[in-house]
Amino acid sequence: MGTINTSMSIMSGALEADQEALSVVANNVANVNTPGYTDEVPDWEENPPITVGTSSIGDGVSETGSTSQRDRVLEERLDQQQQLAAASGTRLSALNQVQALFTPSSGASTSAGDIGSDITSFFNSFSSLESDPTNDALREEVLSSASTLAGDISGAASSLNQQSAALNQEVVGAASQVNTLTSAIAQLNLQIQSTSPNADAGTLEDQRQEDISQLSQLVGVNQVTTENNGLSITTTSGQLLVSEGSNFQLTTGTVNGNTDFFLGTTDITSQLATGGGQVGGYLTARNTDIPNALNSLNALAYNISTSVNAQNNVGTDLNGVTGTVASPLYIFNEPAAGAVAGSAVAMTVTMTDPSEIAAAAAGNGTGDNSNAVLMANLGNQAIVGGDTPINYYSNFVSNLGSTVSSVQTENTAQNASVTQLQTQNNALSSVNLNDEAAAMSTLESSYQAAAQFFTALNTLMASALNLGEEATVS
Amino acid sequence: MRVDPTYITNLVGSLDQTQATEQQLSEELSSGTSVTSLSQNPVAAGENVLLLSQIQQEDSFTQSSNLVTGQLQVADSSLGSVVSELTQAVSLATSANNGTLNASDVQSIGNQISGILNEVQSLANTTFEGQYIFGGGQSSTPPFSTSVATATSPAVTTYNGGATANYLQLSNGQKIQLNVPGSQIFLGSGVNSVFGTLNALVADYSSGTPNVGQAVSDTESLNTALNYVSQQRVTIDNSINQVSAATTSATQEQTQLTSAQNDLIQADIPTVSTQLSLTETQQTALEDMIAQLESSSNDLFDKLQVG
Repeated sequence: MGTINTSMSIMSGALEADQEALSVVANNVANVNTPGYTDEVPDWEENPPITVGTSSIGDGVSETGSTSQRDRVLEERLDQQQQLAAASGTRLSALNQVQALFTPSSGASTSAGDIGSDITSFFNSFSSLESDPTNDALREEVLSSASTLAGDISGAASSLNQQSAALNQEVVGAASQVNTLTSAIAQLNLQIQSTSPNADAGTLEDQRQEDISQLSQLVGVNQVTTENNGLSITTTSGQLLVSEGSNFQLTTGTVNGNTDFFLGTTDITSQLATGGGQVGGYLTARNTDIPNALNSLNALAYNISTSVNAQNNVGTDLNGVTGTVASPLYIFNEPAAGAVAGSAVAMTVTMTDPSEIAAAAAGNGTGDNSNAVLMANLGNQAIVGGDTPINYYSNFVSNLGSTVSSVQTENTAQNASVTQLQTQNNALSSVNLNDEAAAMSTLESSYQAAAQFFTALNTLMASALNLGEEATVS
Repeated sequence: MRVDPTYITNLVGSLDQTQATEQQLSEELSSGTSVTSLSQNPVAAGENVLLLSQIQQEDSFTQSSNLVTGQLQVADSSLGSVVSELTQAVSLATSANNGTLNASDVQSIGNQISGILNEVQSLANTTFEGQYIFGGGQSSTPPFSTSVATATSPAVTTYNGGATANYLQLSNGQKIQLNVPGSQIFLGSGVNSVFGTLNALVADYSSGTPNVGQAVSDTESLNTALNYVSQQRVTIDNSINQVSAATTSATQEQTQLTSAQNDLIQADIPTVSTQLSLTETQQTALEDMIAQLESSSNDLFDKLQVG
């Protein structure tokens, strides 16, 4: 059987519950701009009814805390997409720097640093020499166009090497960021497991999620939920980074001139390169894209140098000298046989005296031009990787352009997908001030209602105590 | 359904995007090229390399053709002079052979022919920009020299030049002959040898009483040699015509290639301007929208009357 006392206790419980719920709303409003904060809604629970005799009477409401509005599947999906977008974004910016070295020339005038024009000018200088093989000015032109070609190729190659070195620096920085984040996640795991083994851990969970999100920008990771609300994190290829309360440090070391990643003593660079995140982008650019460009430049430098040197060496120069093994007539520095790697950076013109250009065929007299014809012809022969030098260069720039363009497309699509997932996740988890205002109004009204009810009960109680004597209790 | 409350952030993202587009378009306008980086149009960038290379080749050929033409014209005019010298020698020899002249007149004709021989030799040693144009590959030393005649044997003119001709190779593989080795023009075999017959005639008339039969036969030989020189001159004339034709076609090709290259990578100014204007409109619309959303009191808290 219910009493006035019971009603008053229900109402005071309701007032308390409303206050608690209001503080949940207040906390939401306060954290509207906190990164990683997840919107919380108050948890209401009906108190167990009291059964006296045959009748059962409700016993009011309790506010039992709050629940974060979180969708773990959505969050993990967002993290994964961020890993892909970060990888392609980082790779794209590296590739943009690479392609800036090979900006297309426009118009008939050749722009400085355009290797394609350099190649043509160099072989053209031999064609011009055909018309007057003893002309000093034309001979000077051969050497100066050779210097321009060698300078531009070696300049582009050293820029690529510098980019590679810069990426190695970035990689070291990324490793230490990853370690900071994984140790923070391990700490949070311990706290979450001890404070909230069976339910959402609220702000701790928010912090952990924020750390995972930042980690996802850096490397590709998988999350595995373990017992008591713990979490293990592995790289996409399965190397353990965080196991509940402990984390495993990534270390870096130099292998073949590049900075590689180690987990313990295992080199996991190639796994990280394909895994995603900024590290994946850095490593793909450093291990694939830049070496590809360098290989092409090396092939150009090596084959042009060796072919032109060999041809010059069999002819006769203006002094009537034919090159020999002991004292060869070389225009470019001759790379060691087969040493293609590094030949682009090293490419330079070693000939200083233009009279040493062997325009004449051996034994034909210094006014002969038949060797100059053969050297000019090298420009139209398949001397570089089964292609003429200019075709090889043309294919190289168009392949590089296609790679950049496809990474760009990929990155745009991934970013769009990240934005979409972000919107979905925000719709669920961010604090919406309209909702909070509505919740506050509702709670305010129910608090006022409970307060009014309490006042009414108070009057009722006074009447009961006075039993008709108006003055005793008011 | 709940919505993403941070939609203004997305609008700002779109605003960034339009700015990037504007930057790209203004770059195209200022450079005049639609392919400012390889990735914008990889195929065009590759094709551009090849077109530029061809344009450069044509350009380079046009320049060397001027030089070559000069050299060929000097050779042609030298041979022209040789022909007129030889014609004069033939008429002198013919007058000496008709038997009406006395010994001293015949000797004088012999001396005149000897002078013509020297003249022809100096023409055969003509230089262009310091190089002996009839010296074949050996263009740095005079190709012809004549020994002094003795009482028993006539003078002999020898060739010290190279035996090979130079060729200018065009980008299409066509070869244009740039010179004719002097031995081929002036020292042909037997009756074709200019210097051989001239030296023989000088020897014939040196005594003043020539063997008429021998002198007539030598004069006929000189006539043959004269024709032979004219034939060799045709080679030079052909080369001049070939160079001129090749230059004309190079110039035409260059024009075609340049216009192909323009089509490929030049920016289409009206299109780019229109795109720029559209992008600007879009940007203005986005900015206005953001401004309105931010200025209008947009959340429920502002509407709640506290009190």
